Amino acid sequence: MAALLRGLRAGRLLRGLSSVVAAPTSTTPQCSSLRRGFHCAALRLQDESKSDKHSASSSSSSSSSSSSTTHDDYTSQQDFDPSSGDQEQDEDYETEEQLQARILTAALEFVPLHGWSMEAISAGAEAVGLSSASTGMFTNGAGDLVLHFISQCNSKLTEILAEQHNEVQLGQAEPKKTADFLRDAVETRLRMYIPYMESWPQAMSILLLPHNIPDSLKHLSTMVDDIWYYAGDRSTDMNWYTKRAVLTGLYNATELVMLQDSSPDFQDTWTFLDNRIQDVTNMAVTAKQMQSTGEAVAQGLMGAAVTLKNLTGLNQRR
Amino acid sequence: ANTGWMLAAASIPSLATDSQLDPCPDFSLEKEMMHRMLRVDHAGEYGANRIYAGQMAVLGRSRTGPLIQQMWDQEKKHLSKFNEILAENRVRPTALLPLWNLAGFVLGASTALLGKEGAMACTVAVEESISEHYNSQIRALMESDPERYTELLQVIKEFRDDEMDHHDTGLEHDAESLPGYWLLKNAIQLGCKAAIYVSQRV
Repeated sequence: MAALLRGLRAGRLLRGLSSVVAAPTSTTPQCSSLRRGFHCAALRLQDESKSDKHSASSSSSSSSSSSSTTHDDYTSQQDFDPSSGDQEQDEDYETEEQLQARILTAALEFVPLHGWSMEAISAGAEAVGLSSASTGMFTNGAGDLVLHFISQCNSKLTEILAEQHNEVQLGQAEPKKTADFLRDAVETRLRMYIPYMESWPQAMSILLLPHNIPDSLKHLSTMVDDIWYYAGDRSTDMNWYTKRAVLTGLYNATELVMLQDSSPDFQDTWTFLDNRIQDVTNMAVTAKQMQSTGEAVAQGLMGAAVTLKNLTGLNQRR
Repeated sequence: ANTGWMLAAASIPSLATDSQLDPCPDFSLEKEMMHRMLRVDHAGEYGANRIYAGQMAVLGRSRTGPLIQQMWDQEKKHLSKFNEILAENRVRPTALLPLWNLAGFVLGASTALLGKEGAMACTVAVEESISEHYNSQIRALMESDPERYTELLQVIKEFRDDEMDHHDTGLEHDAESLPGYWLLKNAIQLGCKAAIYVSQRV
């Protein structure tokens, strides 16, 4: 009976691991914070004895695997109960995240040389003073690097927008009109890609890989929501959705134009952006005009109907 | 005055730099729960508004017109309060708002066509559902952290009391004398439960 149970657990463990192995690049089943399937496998790893874990895994260094085991255990608990946890484990958790962030930030410098790839991450790890084997931490490989960069850009944008917002609150700056605000925000954000422009098509194609799509969409929607929030949007009806959809379309189109732009300082891209924002503004104005025209026409028709009823005597009560 | 949770929610942008790898670093489960609650409450008040609008469209010029108008005005106040709260906390409104717009109006108008008793029966059913829903939210908030959510608790309690008043008003005005009252009431309450379930998620 016990042997049967062990066999079943081993079977589940192998299935969990196979879902991890099917994921790209890394041979080491170490934990990165977003893989749910892997968390389940990690939990099962914790359930099994140490010997099972070592035989089933193919970790490159046992010390880093055992240290990350405690992280695995804690981060999987983190998923289910984020508000609890010891103080010391909190510090460990942050250190791993911060460590990954440090490596990836350092790796960004090597992107012009190696492209968005594990080589860049290895070079980054070495620049930070670690062995290039620590790239095993990044199960998603180049995807981790691109997503980290996107997240960094979004944070920078949010800081800039918050600062501008503060200046307006303090009366030190004039509030911009919505169209100008959007234009400046999108331009600021896209300019952050300029140093990496040659390899940006590669980054975009990495973001389009199926397992990266949920994360890249989340980043995109967070960014668009932030921009509209600082532009002053406080709508709580369908406008919330239409505004964000419009800005997403604007941003994506401008990004694509930027990829093929060879004009000095990307002037053509900013002109394109201006024109699209102008289009959107015109559409909004036209929509409003149509609505008020429609209302006026409806009222006119009602008036005509009442007049007719009066004329034919239908309105009189007999 | 803002209390702790509103301040914490409003300071989201400044915390965005903490964790670089997570696209939504501050979306803890608790905040997600809060956003769902606010989203469904907002949808509920919006729907209630449309129901009274439908009732007024049919019965507006009858004897019960002023009564329905009075209840509708209170719902309008509730809706504007929730609009404020949603905007402050950057909560996404439910994508089904156009559906609740139509469904609420149709429900109000069609029950009003059954006469004053029909409108009152609809009011009783809907207000009972909403009160139950608010009560379960109050319980959830009290269980999780009453000090952090004092202002929200106060708002929900006040609204719950208003909805109970509407419910009692409906009963006073002969809701139960409608033929098929039991059937209509349960059908409407089932619909409300489904609407609440869906609005929390979409």
